[in-house]
Amino acid sequence: MDEHSPAEDPGPPRKTNLVLGTLLVGFVALAAAFALNLWGRQAPLDAIPLVDPALLDTATNRRSYADLVRAKEDLSDFDCYTCHEKNKAPTLRYDEHQNLLIPTEHSDIVMGHGEHGRNNNCFNCHNETNLKLLQTRDGRALQFDDSPQLCGSCHGPTYDDWEAGAHGRISGFWNRRLGAIKRQDCVNCHNPHAPAFQGRQPAPGPHPLHGPMVKPTAESGH
Amino acid sequence: MSHSDFPPLQGEPAPAAGMNRRSFLRTSAVLTTGLAALASSLRPLLELEDYTSVEQFMQKYYKELTPAEMAKVLKRIENEVEKQYGIRPQVRDLRPMDGVEFVYALNLTRCIGCRKCVHACVQENNQSRNPEIQYIRVLRMPHGSFDLDQSEHNYAPATVPEKGYFYMPVQCQQCRNPPCVKVCPVHATWQETDGITVIDYNWCIGCRYCEAACPYWARHFNFTKPSIPKERLNPEMSYLGNQPRHQGVMEKCHFCIQRTRAGRYPACLEVCPAGARKFGNILDPNSEVSYILRTKRVFIQLKEELGTSPRFFYYFDV
Repeated sequence: MDEHSPAEDPGPPRKTNLVLGTLLVGFVALAAAFALNLWGRQAPLDAIPLVDPALLDTATNRRSYADLVRAKEDLSDFDCYTCHEKNKAPTLRYDEHQNLLIPTEHSDIVMGHGEHGRNNNCFNCHNETNLKLLQTRDGRALQFDDSPQLCGSCHGPTYDDWEAGAHGRISGFWNRRLGAIKRQDCVNCHNPHAPAFQGRQPAPGPHPLHGPMVKPTAESGH
Repeated sequence: MSHSDFPPLQGEPAPAAGMNRRSFLRTSAVLTTGLAALASSLRPLLELEDYTSVEQFMQKYYKELTPAEMAKVLKRIENEVEKQYGIRPQVRDLRPMDGVEFVYALNLTRCIGCRKCVHACVQENNQSRNPEIQYIRVLRMPHGSFDLDQSEHNYAPATVPEKGYFYMPVQCQQCRNPPCVKVCPVHATWQETDGITVIDYNWCIGCRYCEAACPYWARHFNFTKPSIPKERLNPEMSYLGNQPRHQGVMEKCHFCIQRTRAGRYPACLEVCPAGARKFGNILDPNSEVSYILRTKRVFIQLKEELGTSPRFFYYFDV
């Protein structure tokens, strides 16, 4: 012990000092960088607005007569004989092109069933002797909540698809042992007076991380 | 035995060996500053604590979990979700049913391109809202063509459907021969007996091989921690389905496993205003999908030539 006197010790070698000093500077710089958040955490992304809850709604766009009965709602619109006379068929009026003139009392009805314009008679589907019933072309009188059968009397293949569950909206259980399937009627989606689907606003498209991909479309291409 | 019999301990400071007041102060100053700087430079690691608990890190592979362990895992997920979102979810581990193979059929004649399915899916399956992760992409293509390269994702007209176009939603096709399963290096994704290809989010290492292998762009990667607003969280969860994911894992459509394995229809089907989406058990001859595949003009399995054999069919009415 005593052979090495303090005077002979040269202290830590210069190289060690250099390495330690460099490390120290490095760590201090790193610490400062993190503290000041120099290169930063990820910049917050642009806010994407939450989608309108109306777009998540699974309700159908129309309610059928059967729905109204089930919900015990006001059925006065279907009480034809508050205005019409019983046992007397209402007279239909046409313009010079044989187009049906809709009376003002029924001005909410827009006729547009079929593109040929010939299916515009009320009594193609309504029973003229009893306005509270529907009438198929083969002479069957149907209640309002039996309307799919009326539609099926002309649209046979679509009716078959609907019965098999392949046309129209369904919900509930695919596994009938675990629960019931709910099948919507024709008039839950189609307006019987103008059955074609109306256009609707589409839900917002995707917001990619790096802005929308611009692609030539059919119109703007070339 | 006296004390002096022992040699001096090695660690005892030798007061005279090269240590004087100046060098001691210098060394300790360097050490203190250095340690403080080291600690502070490692600080970002502390933020990891947010999303990896020890139990989660040590958790076993899905297929190796015993029922008791699975119950524990489900409890842990419920606790973590409650801590993060303030809502107590119900997390279940639903298993495939016997005699069931799921098939999806989509009617291209009926689809109007309204994208409601996209958002119903996001809502049902707790996908990240920002950045956006969506399992369904709706492609718009001109009538009379079938060129996927020319398809448009970002159409935004005032109303749909537009004249002269048709719409084709694409999501996971639940292939019988799934390329994504083959490439996974850790077996974190596999095909279940009911035909659903699932992901063990806890086992996924985020290498994104499956994303590269999938010809349908069906797999999505969580580049950041998913952000789901509390009020939009769906508390009915399943382990392989819509439990909230973590940063750095893959996810994809799983036919709403939390609904379909409980006998219900998927969310995208129930919201479709045109009734274009059909789903069911192909092994049941009375199911809607059996009827469709039997009687309809089933047009394609998408990219049929790749031999992936999707369980997702597109068909036409006429």
